[in-house]
Amino acid sequence: MIFKRKPKEPAEEPVAVNGGRNLMLLVIIAITIALTTTSISLAIYRATGDVYLDRSRPGYIADDEVHSTEDDGKETFANEGAITTKEIDEYLETLDLATKRIENSIDDFSSAPLSDETLDIIIYEENPQPDEEVAPVE
Amino acid sequence: MAKKLIGFFMGFAALAAGLLLPISASATDAQYMPDDQEQIPENPQPEYAEDMVLSDEQLGMISQNCPSIQNQLRRVQRTDAKSRVHLGAQFEVISTNLMLNLNLRLVKNNLATAELADQQTTFSNERTRFKNDYINYSQSLERLIDTDCQKQPAQFYEQLTKVREKRSEVQQDVYRLTEIIRQHRESIVTLKESLK
Repeated sequence: MIFKRKPKEPAEEPVAVNGGRNLMLLVIIAITIALTTTSISLAIYRATGDVYLDRSRPGYIADDEVHSTEDDGKETFANEGAITTKEIDEYLETLDLATKRIENSIDDFSSAPLSDETLDIIIYEENPQPDEEVAPVE
Repeated sequence: MAKKLIGFFMGFAALAAGLLLPISASATDAQYMPDDQEQIPENPQPEYAEDMVLSDEQLGMISQNCPSIQNQLRRVQRTDAKSRVHLGAQFEVISTNLMLNLNLRLVKNNLATAELADQQTTFSNERTRFKNDYINYSQSLERLIDTDCQKQPAQFYEQLTKVREKRSEVQQDVYRLTEIIRQHRESIVTLKESLK
């Protein structure tokens, strides 16, 4: 039996590693992932409406206004203990305090600030209504 | 290879932004809407005629006053944010610190009533409605501010009408919550009488 010697394969050349290019690629991928996740986060932030309730949103409400609203509304009623007329009186007193604050702002969302007059928009004309009394056709 | 990778990530980023940003504009439109409309007290609605027609002169007026209108809208936006924070804080105090604690205490003393428990639930639901209506209103107001009233006065006025309607809903929520507080107070006074 004759064995033929397998021809020797040429040795593979070592692969040249381009470190600079890989580093650049890594940076680009990292930035892309960061931008993508940030975009998704912001989209969710807007979609849930939190953007409109977020008091820490820059420039949304001035600091002094935030502090003035934080000072009020700390009242509480203990959830343990006996219930007597005195306790109920205390509860009513606390409730009245909060109610008074609400009543001071009860018309804050009235239509006035967006009325035509406030916005300095000229009064619109209504569509002319047809006359109700129509002459009979002879 | 590198170009393919970069292309893939850039495409993914663009797709994510393109898909998610439109969602943000419409997602809150379909939020909580309780069906207990029968409890809504009658309150005056703002009078905005639906069959309004704006003449060329009036549209010109909007275009002409556009900067001052936009400034006024931004002022309203800031004032509304402050009001929302203030009212929201008071509603939370009443719901969490007062109603909830009182009901817990009544349960512990075997004095709980279904009426007070119902009031607490209704108030909590109305608070959620107030929050959601405010979000809808704010989104609508922001779209109005973004509308170019100099170039598109008709679209601007149309959007303004929508904003007014949404603002009216928020105002109704405040009235409803105040009415529940009034009823709650009456119930507490009755409870006090029964304790004597």
